[in-house]
Amino acid sequence: MRRVALLLPLLAALLALPGCGDRNLILTVDLLSFLAPADRTVPYGPIPPGVTGADVDVASQEVNLLEGLGDAVDVESASLRIGVRFENQTGSATGSLRIYIAPGDSADPFGVPPLANLPVTLAPNDTTRVETEIDSSPELAAALTQSRAKIGVRISFDTTGSVAPLQGVETSEELVAIVVTKRSM
Amino acid sequence: MSPTTFGFRAASAALFISVLSLAGTPAGAQVLDARRLGMGGVTLSDNGGGTSNVAFRAVPRGEATGSIPLPIGLIQFATDVPTFDPNDSTFNVYEIMNLAMSPPLTLRLGGPDEASGDVSIYVAQDSLRIDLQDVRRVVPKESMRTGGVSHLFAVGKSFGPAFVQFGPLVHVRNTFDLSPELRAALRDAVPFTDNTRYGLSDEARAQAALSFQAGVALRAAYVPGPREEETTDPRRSGATALYLGGAPKLLWGLAYGDARGVGGLTTGDTLFGNNTSVAFDAVSRTRHAAIGSDGGSGLGYGSDVGAVLYWNNFELGLGLNDLGSRIRWSTVVRQYVYDDSTNDFVTTTLARDEKYTSRIPVTTTLSAAKRFGATTVAADVVDDDLSTKIHAGAEHWVGRVAVRAGGYRDANRIWQATGGAGIRFGGVGLDLAVATNSRNIEEARSTELSASLTLY
Repeated sequence: MRRVALLLPLLAALLALPGCGDRNLILTVDLLSFLAPADRTVPYGPIPPGVTGADVDVASQEVNLLEGLGDAVDVESASLRIGVRFENQTGSATGSLRIYIAPGDSADPFGVPPLANLPVTLAPNDTTRVETEIDSSPELAAALTQSRAKIGVRISFDTTGSVAPLQGVETSEELVAIVVTKRSM
Repeated sequence: MSPTTFGFRAASAALFISVLSLAGTPAGAQVLDARRLGMGGVTLSDNGGGTSNVAFRAVPRGEATGSIPLPIGLIQFATDVPTFDPNDSTFNVYEIMNLAMSPPLTLRLGGPDEASGDVSIYVAQDSLRIDLQDVRRVVPKESMRTGGVSHLFAVGKSFGPAFVQFGPLVHVRNTFDLSPELRAALRDAVPFTDNTRYGLSDEARAQAALSFQAGVALRAAYVPGPREEETTDPRRSGATALYLGGAPKLLWGLAYGDARGVGGLTTGDTLFGNNTSVAFDAVSRTRHAAIGSDGGSGLGYGSDVGAVLYWNNFELGLGLNDLGSRIRWSTVVRQYVYDDSTNDFVTTTLARDEKYTSRIPVTTTLSAAKRFGATTVAADVVDDDLSTKIHAGAEHWVGRVAVRAGGYRDANRIWQATGGAGIRFGGVGLDLAVATNSRNIEEARSTELSASLTLY
């Protein structure tokens, strides 16, 4: 497990610095930076035509960012910015990009309902960018203030309309969590 | 009541007194006598400087016999009382801290806004940047030292040249420092870097005692001046006079505590890379004793000595308070070491009943004044273990009205300006003073109006 957990209790002490009250601690975490380069760019396929529900797990990462903050802060809001690029080479597909946040003691992050479910449409020799921002998600706030959480990214393809095997490269370009807290002490 | 409970209460009381005394310490330097403040806060034999030079007790009283502060700032405070409830949306810890550093006894005319605003933290695997925004101002630019020696509420009685008095004595000192790297990261929002240690250190000491003092202040030499028939006041008669004072004191120590700690974190090759990416270290050593508890009370001795010379309406005074003041304690010494592997502190009692002698630092006051006609020009230098402060000012009377101006260099080595005026109605005078100060956590300049009555 990464040592982020040990550093952030120190950062929690900074909550005293704004003077409390209506001042906020705004924590911006670049989750993407914690993924290995091999997890940021993932080739998919070839997936034969006529397949439904072909899952590609892009990333499954445990992060531990807010340990120590949970007792010290009230989370006002939590949001997540997502940006993914598909450089599709052959075939076509529809599908979905799903973001999962699960408790840290889960076997994997994919056992809970997805936090985001974004439609994806891919065409041959085409680049598609999917991006969204999840605002004010209680699930995200709850997950990120636990001692541990697991984040997963899964793409599910449907190639029933394709005439050629689906193949390409997926690149995660942005995965940023923004947590706004107030001190609860 | 068990000894432990009593000791805890005694230690708590000592701590409480210590906190209360911070505002009145030389570092706090809030002068409530508007006459004195208008003259830059200078210490003289006839403006309440008796506590800084024991020899002043022997000098005949001047025209002014006393001062009654008028806490006009309380009116302003009552109309805008800050909340002390941390859960309240308007709670501002800096406002409360500034209130402790500068009690609202004077009217605040201007100054910096209270520090507030959001704190932003950006975290990535190999990046950490903390932007305190408005709060950056409260991160000290250099080592932050606070404290001083206070003699509170002394009660005494004079018997001719001799006198006895007793009262609480409180000494508080704290030195807090950040490593240059941590200061830059917090004050200038410089991103944290790999393979770097970010550290801080703190050294704190507090002790409280009851002082029982018996002394003598007398005129050692006297040559009448040319205006002796008009006045017997050596300040204005032109007399040559030497006054000396000395007062040994018995110190009954109530509580003592000190702590020296260093801590920090050292980043690895990658800020958030792996299990060894950040290493924490912290060690603190404490020593304490308290009446009714560990070590019990302490016992010590000390003294105040002083001299003041008059010549041709020139006044030169030298006072040394707490000369040789020491208290012997029986202390408990503990060490706390942070174990990075277990994420816990390991406490070790290094010694019990270890003899330790604490020192009350000497406060030296060198003062000089010249009075000619309706004008007084004065200056002093006050040196203690934390700082050397300089005060200078002048007063000029035109009929029943006095105008004053001055300046001083405070405990933080920041020069401040003062000015004021007074009017006398028979035996009572009303004085007002406007002065700048930096008695706030940001050490930013503020302006205050002080008012007091002078008894003639």
